[in-house]
Amino acid sequence: MINHETEVKLQACLDGELSPGEATTLETLIAGDPDARSLFEELRATRTLLAGNELDLKLPDTREFYWSKIRRQIELEERRTPAGDGPKPVSAPWVRFLTPAGALAALVVLVVIALKNSDASPSELALEDSHEIETPLEETSSFSFRSEAAAMTVVWVDSHRE
Amino acid sequence: MSRKLDYPAAEDPVLVKGAQKGDMQAFEELVARHRDKIYARAFSMMRNEEEATDLSQEAWVKAWQRLKQFQGEASFVTWMTRIVINLCLDQLRRQKRLRAESIEQLDEELGGVERQMPIVTPNPTERLERGELRQRIDKALGQLSYEHRTVLILHEFEDLEYKEIAKRMECSIGTVMSRLFYARRKMAVLLAGLKREELR
Repeated sequence: MINHETEVKLQACLDGELSPGEATTLETLIAGDPDARSLFEELRATRTLLAGNELDLKLPDTREFYWSKIRRQIELEERRTPAGDGPKPVSAPWVRFLTPAGALAALVVLVVIALKNSDASPSELALEDSHEIETPLEETSSFSFRSEAAAMTVVWVDSHRE
Repeated sequence: MSRKLDYPAAEDPVLVKGAQKGDMQAFEELVARHRDKIYARAFSMMRNEEEATDLSQEAWVKAWQRLKQFQGEASFVTWMTRIVINLCLDQLRRQKRLRAESIEQLDEELGGVERQMPIVTPNPTERLERGELRQRIDKALGQLSYEHRTVLILHEFEDLEYKEIAKRMECSIGTVMSRLFYARRKMAVLLAGLKREELR
């Protein structure tokens, strides 16, 4: 009967994990010992049978549902560790377009208000000495501040991206 | 001005580069393309649909976080498969710690039953369609202990060498050789048994 050490060596020979010297020794054993040969053949047949015969499985979830869960988890992890190694998601092109558009809209509103105020009485100017305007965009906001007293307008545009 | 990427037609390396720059749509395409394979590997190791789905999702999240580390030495899908395998191994180790070690389990680890088995030559391919054969192999895999199944999957389906399997399973090369030997012997018996059953 073959001992366990020889059994696993026969297998290692089959898997190409032996040195050339050891492989030659095992090949001699396989040629001369019927038990060793039978075992070697069984191991080889099993390996051949398994090769390329793994079951093809399909994920039960739909593409959209599966991805939505992954995306949500990625976003959650990024909120937890904002300085993480992962790439920062790039906003959709329309958001990138709307960032300057939002800023421009804010400026137009400011100019209109300033022109209106130029016709207003001093008391009205005092009441509306400064204005704050925010755009309703979720991922982009612009914040403007105007001081009539200082004759100055400041516009702050924030895309909420790092 | 850069041209818009045709995601479904783009090859993996192009999508990976896009994803590394933060393009989530490129990453979504990679997920859609390889999700079945990653899920299948998780399922083959865990033998549980829910766990396999959760672990495959976790693997994709980890992949996004580590995308910068992917240098393209192996294919993207190989890299992804390694991530899901590691997650499954961690999960199986946690589960094993929770389970009480039984005598039966210890016996299996040492190949108690398999040592007594007569030598058989499984060859059900003669009578089985490929799909059916795959089903039967999968059923037989499900009957192995997780140590035997894992070592078999890593060697036969992932083509990992003994040394690499030992590293991933946190055991010695000798243990890997032993587990693989008993796993193959048990598979031979299970598949030969299926053949006998079919012939009856």
